[in-house]
Amino acid sequence: MTFFSLTLILIALITFVAGQLFLKRAMEFAGRSSFRNPRFIWLVSAGIYSMAISFFLTLGLLQHFDLSYLYPFQGLSIIIISLLAAIVLKEKLTLQLAIGALLISAGVALVSLS
Amino acid sequence: MRDRPSGFFNPWFQLALSVICVLASELLLKRGASDTANPASAWSWTGISGLASPLVWWAIGLIIISFLSWLYVLRYIPLTIAFPMSRVVDVLVPLGCWIFLGEVISARRWVGIALVIIGLAVLAKPVARFEERL
Repeated sequence: MTFFSLTLILIALITFVAGQLFLKRAMEFAGRSSFRNPRFIWLVSAGIYSMAISFFLTLGLLQHFDLSYLYPFQGLSIIIISLLAAIVLKEKLTLQLAIGALLISAGVALVSLS
Repeated sequence: MRDRPSGFFNPWFQLALSVICVLASELLLKRGASDTANPASAWSWTGISGLASPLVWWAIGLIIISFLSWLYVLRYIPLTIAFPMSRVVDVLVPLGCWIFLGEVISARRWVGIALVIIGLAVLAKPVARFEERL
């Protein structure tokens, strides 16, 4: 476990989360205007590119580490997405939603650790 | 919030569809990859040989369907609700492996599965409240 691999894991996580946020923004946009709107196309492309970067980084990481080592970081994405959706997309994050997200994250981490 | 379509286009149905497609695709990928595994080949690490299995192609189709239905879900349901709920798949995949592929689930994994289910139960109330506004 080096600083370099930890950085890669973080970048894979951040690009995955960013991809979800881009896609969410894009689909909110799609409800209001046509699919050929340049802003919609920009957001969907950004979403797909981020997810693709995350996918290939993860694939590369999988060649060096066990899935059971990498997967618990996936659990973190639930917490990060909930937080960023509240901050960036101004979604309402109630205490109950936060507790639910924390429990699911912990569960996912445990499932993948064993 | 836009008026909610019913039946097939209900966003909760689409969320379930997305989760089921991911679950089925993971199991098909594992089966397909195992069927076509040839560790002696220099190309084995690329996964390319998996494409020889029809199961892998079914899985690819399911992954595309799950992505499209996920996009549809994002149109209607906030990420703070939809994303944690979609992770139920992390519980369903080990359960599917246990039931269909005969893999073993350790005690620690059962505890993790229980935690996720409790987490989903906690989410149920905000979901109900969101549903009232929809």
